[in-house]
Amino acid sequence: MTRPDAQASAPRTWKKPPFIANPLIRYGILILAAAYLIWAFGSLPFNWARISEGLPRAARIFSGGFPPNLERYELLITGFKESFQIAILATLLGVFLSIPFAVMAARNIAPMPIYLIGRAVIIISRSFHPVIVAILFVAAVGFGPLAGILTLTLYSIGFVGKLLAEEIEEIDWGQVEAMRAAGAGYLATLFYAVFPQILPRQVGLSMYQLDSNLRASAVVGIVGAGGIGGTLMNAFGRYDYDFAFAILLVIIAVILLSEGVSGWVRKKIW
Amino acid sequence: MLEIKNLVKRYGRNKAVLEGLDLKVEDNSVVSIVGASGAGKSTMLRCINRLVEPTSGSITLNGTELVHLKGADLRRARRKIGMVFQGFNLLDRLTVMENVLAGRLGYVNLYQAITRRYPQADIERAFVLMERVGIAQYANKRADELSGGERQRVGVVRALMQEPEVLLADEPTASLDPRTSEQIMMLLQSLASELSLPVLINIHNVSQAKTYTERIVGLRHGKMIFDGVPADFNKDALDAIYGGIEAPDDATSNAPVEERAHDPA
Amino acid sequence: MVDHAQKLADHVWQRYNAKERLIRYAVLLVTLMVVVWAVRDIDIFWPWVWDAPNQISGLGARMWPPSAAGLGNIVNALIETVHIATLATFLTIFLALPVAYIAAQNTTPNRACLWLGRFILVSSRSVNTIIWALLFVAIFGPGVLAGILAIVFRSIGFIGKLMGEAIEEIDRRPVEAMEATGASKAKVIAYAIVPQVMPAFFAIVILRWDINIRESTVLGLVGAGGIGVILQGSIDTFAWPTVATILLAIILLVLIGEAVTSLLRRKVL
Repeated sequence: MTRPDAQASAPRTWKKPPFIANPLIRYGILILAAAYLIWAFGSLPFNWARISEGLPRAARIFSGGFPPNLERYELLITGFKESFQIAILATLLGVFLSIPFAVMAARNIAPMPIYLIGRAVIIISRSFHPVIVAILFVAAVGFGPLAGILTLTLYSIGFVGKLLAEEIEEIDWGQVEAMRAAGAGYLATLFYAVFPQILPRQVGLSMYQLDSNLRASAVVGIVGAGGIGGTLMNAFGRYDYDFAFAILLVIIAVILLSEGVSGWVRKKIW
Repeated sequence: MLEIKNLVKRYGRNKAVLEGLDLKVEDNSVVSIVGASGAGKSTMLRCINRLVEPTSGSITLNGTELVHLKGADLRRARRKIGMVFQGFNLLDRLTVMENVLAGRLGYVNLYQAITRRYPQADIERAFVLMERVGIAQYANKRADELSGGERQRVGVVRALMQEPEVLLADEPTASLDPRTSEQIMMLLQSLASELSLPVLINIHNVSQAKTYTERIVGLRHGKMIFDGVPADFNKDALDAIYGGIEAPDDATSNAPVEERAHDPA
Repeated sequence: MVDHAQKLADHVWQRYNAKERLIRYAVLLVTLMVVVWAVRDIDIFWPWVWDAPNQISGLGARMWPPSAAGLGNIVNALIETVHIATLATFLTIFLALPVAYIAAQNTTPNRACLWLGRFILVSSRSVNTIIWALLFVAIFGPGVLAGILAIVFRSIGFIGKLMGEAIEEIDRRPVEAMEATGASKAKVIAYAIVPQVMPAFFAIVILRWDINIRESTVLGLVGAGGIGVILQGSIDTFAWPTVATILLAIILLVLIGEAVTSLLRRKVL
């Protein structure tokens, strides 16, 4: 082999080039991260006395929770029925209402002031976790499924509206021009050139939204907006852990089932 | 010396891919293995370093039986067997130097591997080898920034970093353009004599096999049907190996040998 | 006349064939029946529904104008919320990666580990953060620890599932090459797998951090720390102008979170 003797005398070193070239930034980021962790852990109010009781309590909860108890299945069925109803009605309302908001929030077909309003509605309804919205609706219209429906309708508008608005922004503009050239008005253009292009997506999105509304309907009940969440909360509140775990297991089963069905339907449609 | 005896490989209950292969490769010789796709070339090479588990038979490298090795023993045996791949199989997101040093993974400990603190001797050897094949200037470039020929050089250097006792090359030129593949073949040939290393090259290109290797082994349906020097590799041998299956790639192009068959099919 | 009608019938244009139409009508009918059942059966006092717009606008009026009182508290609670989300995301990384490793087809040590990993991922994902919070509040008492654990337990499923998929999608060839050098399993992972999944890892963690910011705003409603605690307190005391301020603060937090996320994505990826 050809040995380059000239260089063999001076041993060559090699180091892996660092991920961030500037050492100041590299170590700065590390120090900042460490400082942040210390600050965050130090400043959070941990109640160590209470936390130390945790393990015996966990043991009590889990031994109380097993085996899960399905004796009061009627309560469970009532709760689930309400959750389904909330999810179905909210999905229907949400998917229909999301269309006007999506049109408003699509830059290519909405005039500027309307666009801003549409975007604002979507951003606001997406910023709030459904549970926060639920607690406000409970305050406004009282306990029960109505608050749940309103909450999930708003939630659906935010989610479906955003995706739909993006879809509208990406439509084939040629069809719109063709309609306009044919002398169609604004609404006719919407119905003939815009909606047919987004309809398949909308059907798939509704199935997806039904699935995620069903998930969400299980939690909005925790703050009193109806459905199985309320039943779960009550069971927890009464230290009725075996029933609570039974509810939890059924919720998991239903969510898995609904995920499977929704996925199957969406595959069929697309 | 590498010695294969009665090697059989069967996937599940299907017909065997290798049907009792025998092969003896002395030190310091370059052997090319030719055969149609599915003849078992790649399976044979992978049986040697046990990337594929042989069904039965015996493979010895300098006296060590490889077939029944397990765990750390297998890894220790593997580091003496360098391999060059058709698709280069580089660590694309790592630098060329890291790729090259990865050839030492069988020797260094985990801490050295993860922190990239390789022994000075390894780094020295890496530079020497990279200079030998002309890629030293890319040491700190990402492997996926290199051209195909350069990438295969990285692959070759990585295999040589293992200080192998045998070098396996599985279609090392199949992903390269004709010019570059000639260069890689020349490189393998000269490295074999410089390092007195037995080299086994799976190759599709019969003319390259004849030009750059001193012994040709022909496989068909998992059986060896030719074993001899390039001069003996005539139209009959070619027909026996490829006949009725497919035309060997590039067999009819840029070949210096006269008696080569034209379109055996 | 009859002729004309016949002619018209021939010219009727049908978008779907008979079977497709049948399926469409059946789906429509079933949907309609389900909706009618839901509307008739649901436990709603309908006069309240007609009154709902009044109630909602009434609540809105009571919130206006937002009150600046207690702004210091709100800011502190926001910082606590961010801490919960960040620490939880950080802790999740250490728990989710091993789970992803055993839940990926190509790296799992054996079938038992594969199913254990999948079981962990599914149970983590099917239980909502707030339900996890409920459980941990019952165990460790109200406070940030319950919140952090709730988010960790929900995020394991998310990060673990996506990382597992990323591991399953890697290029096998470098793995083969590393095995051929005689590298041990740990070295193969460090050299052939880790670099390949790094970009996915950063993207997934950043995405989950963004989601966790939102999720940690509600933990307080079941007593698990963060801005939700003072939101609940203000609602309970009917301090509506403060509620409005808190809501605005949450929007601001979420928007900042989104901005930081997209900045990180551009910088890191």
